[in-house]
Amino acid sequence: MCRILAYLGEPLPAQHLLFDTDNSLVRQSYSPRMMNTFLNLAGFGMKAWDPASLRPEDPFTYRVTTLPSFDRNLRFMASKLAPTCLVAHVRGVTYSGEGVVADTNLHPFQFVGTRVALAHNGHLRQFPSMRYSLVEHVEPALAQHIEGTTDSEWIYALILSQLDDPYGVPETRELADAIANALRILRRVRAAHGIDTSSPANICVSTGRAVVATRFSFDYGWYPPEDEMLETDLPFVSLWYAIGGEYTMRDGGWRMTVGDLPRSVIIASEPLTSDSSSWFEVPEYSMLTAELGPRGLEFETRDLDV
Amino acid sequence: MSDRETVDFLAGVPLLEGQDEAGLVELARVMRRRTVREGEILWRQGDDAREVLFVVDGAVSILLEVPGNRTMEFGRVGRGQILGEIAVLDGEGHTTSVRVLETATVLALGRSDFAALLAGQHPTAFRLKRRLVALLTARLRNQLRHLAASLGGEGDGLPAEPAPALAGLEPCGPPDSRYVRRMATFHDFDSLALWGFLTSGKYVQCPPGRTLVAEGEPPAAYYLTINGAVEKVLVRSDRRIRVGLAGPGMAFGYESLIDGLPSPVAAVSRERALFLVLQRDVFDELFYKENAVSRVFLEAIQRDLLATLRRTLRPCARLAASL
Repeated sequence: MCRILAYLGEPLPAQHLLFDTDNSLVRQSYSPRMMNTFLNLAGFGMKAWDPASLRPEDPFTYRVTTLPSFDRNLRFMASKLAPTCLVAHVRGVTYSGEGVVADTNLHPFQFVGTRVALAHNGHLRQFPSMRYSLVEHVEPALAQHIEGTTDSEWIYALILSQLDDPYGVPETRELADAIANALRILRRVRAAHGIDTSSPANICVSTGRAVVATRFSFDYGWYPPEDEMLETDLPFVSLWYAIGGEYTMRDGGWRMTVGDLPRSVIIASEPLTSDSSSWFEVPEYSMLTAELGPRGLEFETRDLDV
Repeated sequence: MSDRETVDFLAGVPLLEGQDEAGLVELARVMRRRTVREGEILWRQGDDAREVLFVVDGAVSILLEVPGNRTMEFGRVGRGQILGEIAVLDGEGHTTSVRVLETATVLALGRSDFAALLAGQHPTAFRLKRRLVALLTARLRNQLRHLAASLGGEGDGLPAEPAPALAGLEPCGPPDSRYVRRMATFHDFDSLALWGFLTSGKYVQCPPGRTLVAEGEPPAAYYLTINGAVEKVLVRSDRRIRVGLAGPGMAFGYESLIDGLPSPVAAVSRERALFLVLQRDVFDELFYKENAVSRVFLEAIQRDLLATLRRTLRPCARLAASL
């Protein structure tokens, strides 16, 4: 299990999202409020799009297996970066010999030459038994890029394979449909392998101009006997968002400013502040889409029935 | 306000009905009286809770703060009513803010003294626990009324007869007891009493998409989700809103068994699901008896109501912000 964060909107110092608030993403690596028995100590990753940077269509990328709370390089960079879009992730793995902590397993994933990045909070139970049945649904050229051992990287390859052009910048609607199609394929493959236990799939995908996120689980509420992830899974895996003008410190608290039209949105596994009154909970089984358009931020929530 | 007047006031508080004179005198001794002025904020949503307040006179307003710096008034509280019990009971922050509408006198009871009132196996504690559960049920109905009003339109209407609680559900065996014990809801319960509760009813399962309780239906049964998930929904005209999701360890359908009113929401299985079902006679036996099993049962209902009250505020905030 992991924690994810996405931001889209006005240029915003990454430091505010990663470090400054009392439940920032980095804090969620060692003290998540909404996970009782699990920490996210298996690495940090970030993609940040800055229109003022060289080749603005390519995100700034930083991924390390060390703990972000002690990472001075990350602190220095976060204080200088002010992206209009950011996807970041702190990774959690089971406390067992099966977990592989390696840079090839760090999110967000983005294959060379593609314009879509993905971070995932969740896990597909019994993934080793279904992995190779996914091969037929993944473009061979994309499958060759899979380097790590995670289910998340396969989900990423599966989503890319649903796009007309996996190397282009898809329309937001096409990206949302690709995610829904990938989830349908996963459901079919799970059924073919007799897998019917809880597998959360909170997915966050971005092109730098749009973010699509899901709060979803297959077979929520069903667990294998003696499963060590049970305690973490019993509540539906969380996802929240804050939307408004700009994210700023005002009257002693961090919150979105109120404006006529929303210009910025933060999507996160947990509210970035202990005071959650300025945050909305994403409904279970739903998908969010956010896009920077000519009239500001276009934002939509819809039921995800796959 | 003299000590005698305080005791007389407490004797008239509905939540404390049935407390004996000695208990009320003791209670009055540990309470602190305060005068709060019009416009004063007693606490803000999210603040830590240290005490419950009983309103002696005056009036206060309950406000839900929603994103966008907006507030939604959930109700007004006056003489004899209690404030702040949700956060004191579950140990999380206050669910709403409270502002004084008319200068008021309140009696404050600290968290530990309130907990002491509810502790123990004596009949007074059981009566208080049942009244508290009824109060939380009323609070939940109030929140759901606000949600339904935000949706506009009418409900789907009342069915003529209650649907039999177990109709169309497939009987099955009980779950692994080790699994049930790992649910957060049951962590700290006495094993024997918990076993008594979990063996009181019948276990059934159903596929996704089955309506288990219809909104407006007369009371039929208490359902505890063991596996899977059930959506609690409100439907008004063409608008449907999910007000909660009852996953493992969460219950549904029981509000009507507590207060005798029609079900405030519909309950539809979202995943295939396995439940413990207590029909009305079994529910009543557990609810009104005064033994260790009943104590576990009342505690489980109270925890469920507290969690449900918090979760129901989330769609309230979404709707309020979109209006």
